[in-house]
Amino acid sequence: MTTETILQRAGEVLAPFSKGNSTPETNRLDVQIEASDLPAATAVILSNNLGYLSAITPTDLGKEVNKLEVIYHFCEGAAITSLRIHLPREDQPDIPSVSDQIPVASFFERELGEMLGVHVVGTPDSSRLFLPDDWPDGVYPLREDFTIEQAAPVTPRETLPEMGRVGNKFTVPIGPQHPALKEPGHFEFAVDGEIITGARMRLGYVHRGIEKATEQRNWIQNLYLLERICGICSHTHTSAYAMGVEKLAQVEVPQRAQAIREIVAGLERIHSHLLWLGVAAHEAGFDTLFMYSWRDRETVMDLLETLTGNRVNYSISVLGGVKYDFTAEHSHAIHKAMDYLEERIRYYLHIVTTDASFLQRTRGIGTMSLEEAKHFGALGPTARASGLERDVRIDSPYGAYHHFPVSLITAENGDLEARFEVRMKELLVTCFTIRTIVDNLPPGELAVRFPRKIPAGETISRVEAPRGEAFYYIKSGGGESPTRLKIRTPSLCNWTSALNKAVGHQLADVPMLIAGMDPCFSCNDRMITVRRKNDSQTLSWSQMREYGIKKYAETRETK
Amino acid sequence: MSVLVSLLSLMFFPAGISLILSGMLYEWADRKLVARFQNRIGPRWFQPLADTIKLLSKEEIKPHGVNNLLFYGLPIVALSGALTAALYTPILGFSPIYSFQGDLIVALYLLSLLTMCTGLAGWNGASRFSLIGATRSLTQLFAYEAPFLLALLGPAMAAGTWTIKDISTYAGDHWMFLAQPVGFVIALIGLMGKLELPPFDAPEAETEIVAGALTEYSGRGLALFHIGKSVELVVAISLVTAFYLGGVGNPLIFLLKTLIILLFMAMLQSMLTRLRIDQTVGMWWRFGALLALLQILVIVLLKGWLA
Amino acid sequence: MRLGSMFMDIVKSFFTPPVTEKYPFEKPKTAPRFRGRLHFEPTKCTGCNLCAKDCPADALEIVILDRAAKRYVARYNIDKCAYCGQCIQSCKFKCITMPNNDWELAALNKEKFTAYYGKEDDVANLMDKLAHPGTPPQPEG
Repeated sequence: MTTETILQRAGEVLAPFSKGNSTPETNRLDVQIEASDLPAATAVILSNNLGYLSAITPTDLGKEVNKLEVIYHFCEGAAITSLRIHLPREDQPDIPSVSDQIPVASFFERELGEMLGVHVVGTPDSSRLFLPDDWPDGVYPLREDFTIEQAAPVTPRETLPEMGRVGNKFTVPIGPQHPALKEPGHFEFAVDGEIITGARMRLGYVHRGIEKATEQRNWIQNLYLLERICGICSHTHTSAYAMGVEKLAQVEVPQRAQAIREIVAGLERIHSHLLWLGVAAHEAGFDTLFMYSWRDRETVMDLLETLTGNRVNYSISVLGGVKYDFTAEHSHAIHKAMDYLEERIRYYLHIVTTDASFLQRTRGIGTMSLEEAKHFGALGPTARASGLERDVRIDSPYGAYHHFPVSLITAENGDLEARFEVRMKELLVTCFTIRTIVDNLPPGELAVRFPRKIPAGETISRVEAPRGEAFYYIKSGGGESPTRLKIRTPSLCNWTSALNKAVGHQLADVPMLIAGMDPCFSCNDRMITVRRKNDSQTLSWSQMREYGIKKYAETRETK
Repeated sequence: MSVLVSLLSLMFFPAGISLILSGMLYEWADRKLVARFQNRIGPRWFQPLADTIKLLSKEEIKPHGVNNLLFYGLPIVALSGALTAALYTPILGFSPIYSFQGDLIVALYLLSLLTMCTGLAGWNGASRFSLIGATRSLTQLFAYEAPFLLALLGPAMAAGTWTIKDISTYAGDHWMFLAQPVGFVIALIGLMGKLELPPFDAPEAETEIVAGALTEYSGRGLALFHIGKSVELVVAISLVTAFYLGGVGNPLIFLLKTLIILLFMAMLQSMLTRLRIDQTVGMWWRFGALLALLQILVIVLLKGWLA
Repeated sequence: MRLGSMFMDIVKSFFTPPVTEKYPFEKPKTAPRFRGRLHFEPTKCTGCNLCAKDCPADALEIVILDRAAKRYVARYNIDKCAYCGQCIQSCKFKCITMPNNDWELAALNKEKFTAYYGKEDDVANLMDKLAHPGTPPQPEG
């Protein structure tokens, strides 16, 4: 089905619920519905195969309009159907839950509940997801009248639900500090001997409040703020943001710049997957593969330093284009690096699929069927390893992917081995694509003039990060800063599948299962609370700096 | 005079201080070899010594609610077990200091004492990581102990004696690893299981259970366990070398042979993924025990036929 | 299914030198585009302050001593800077560069992290005024 037919069909089936349709962009249909119609509308969309729930964007429309807005976005190919719901701007208005139809929605609804203060009726888990246990009740960060003083910590109380007794319950906590985790997160596994009988998780340890922070910075500054959401998918975040803002400003980015962006995105994908290969091998206890893949990753990072000036957080995009050009010398360096990397990646693919001791840890473990992948809302290579054909670069091409497309890589088994296979094969495709682009780099300018004030409007941009689909909802009020920026990163959707698969496996398989979905905790959490051990105090950014400076001054005086 | 000689050999050479130091040197050699196989530099020669000194100087934190006697006593017992086992084995290429009839069994049990102390220490520790580590440690003990014992029994049966000194003398004249190749392989791999080296390091899996049975230990207790492990490394390698690679002869050549075994162990460590505990047990009870029994059977038949 | 598929790799590595960079004994070469510490050229500056406005980390500030005589001093916080290079893009007169050779910036003392760039007498003038806050300079933020 083409985009137009999808949107047309969506318009037809949602007509009974619609209180007003609009088309904010060519590939979007926006339908305003009542909160009570939400489950029925969702059922109709799912039964007609009109998309999967990609994100829920909550916004506080402010005192003048006096409403809260919650939008549910369903994506199918390039078409996005959005269900827009307006709620009264009071404490905890009701909205029905859709997590009985879509399990991954329970994560989104937890965020909705704690960040905007909406009561989701019928959600299976209403505990806190990101906010810490000592956050006061009734204080919602995404509301317009939120100030940092309201967030003074209170006595903490446990908010995670009980796991229920199954056999001899014995819980093993993993995290927030654990050698298995490269970033903090809290998992609790109920084990019976070595078999896992229950799992639950808690995020939010590196939450930095980025969504709220973007509202206080201008459009150019946000480019760099969003880049630092994550170290290994930094370029995808800037690409998504730049694409969205360029769409709002109706500026056409030159083809050369788009091609350069795609090359850097490809290199980032190589970097990310090699890093993941090393980490997953380390979780399995195969340190040699870890050392070798990270050694080869150095080639990519040195190449990126030559091309963009930095090994991580490349900062090559600006609004309207890119900063640096690629000369013949750079093309030569890229080709040489690709030669070396292709050989090594083929070797790793061979090891990962044939080494007997490694296969013992990955074959047949964490098997997820196609139906389960769809049900759990998996994204990225985790979904593709189960045969689910979901890739934003192919479903809804953006930037230079119109001219330099990539091929879809899927596997059938859905176990850990398949995930390794899919990622390595994706890298081979990426190497090929990079070579093609470098040989056929379109001529043109690097960047075009860009206005400082972006006209009012809202836009959605989706890109394929190494972990799956990253979803950006950008709303501008016509000024120098965005009014609302919502980021839904792929790892958040993949957690459901990992946790559900953990039950029934052994404790020793848990690190591999978590590593298999390539979690990026930094992408998930986005908020500020600085806490020292015994005296809890919430500090804002400037207070923290002053405190640091004062402390150093004191230590110098006492010396 | 002999009392003085005994005391000196117990405290300084070849047991005692020089044993501990050589344990550290062997540990360094192992880490350096693994690093070179992984294309890295590896630690400098004094690293294990520095680690031990650092650990001995740190504060020992006792978790709340553990049994005091066990907590402070187990590291000492573990280390003494390993040091005592060294008295009967030809470490550093010199004849064993003491020997009596049947000391093979005693030496092996003293080495197992170390693993059992680790298991008990893990159970005693108040965290669930140490409990899981202790369980895995003891499970692994049940797995590899039988095949390893049988593999060491092979040369004993060929020599017709249970005394380590006599077996080494016998092995010095006959090349056992050629005569009993299966036993040699089992002994080598069993060595890796005993020392909890990868791929058999499930009891100490860093990425799953932090540090296994020794998670709650710090400072002096951890240092003693650590030294005990390196001493165990020396003793066990010396046993296998003495039995299979030509007994005790020239100390320098003996050292070289132990280093060759260390090289093979380092190679196996780098090449294989960590096995899950159920896979370890399955493998040992299926292949290890069967092959070792087969080897013993062959020896018995041959002895009967030759006699 | 093979056991030990990395065998050849391991054996080869045993005989090749390790890839570890021996920093600080051997310093690696940085790429030409690498962004090191910022350098400011005061003669071309017009005081438009776009660089300060667009800095995502609030690391740069142009202190205007005298607009008519074009005396500007840049106050740069080395520790706040994110080395993104946006200031280079924003400046229309190419006053700012980030050369690739100055990147070993660790210090034991936080005062070293605030740097003032400008013509010598301008900077001296500003430091003098800051030390004696009777007549404070006019920072424009």
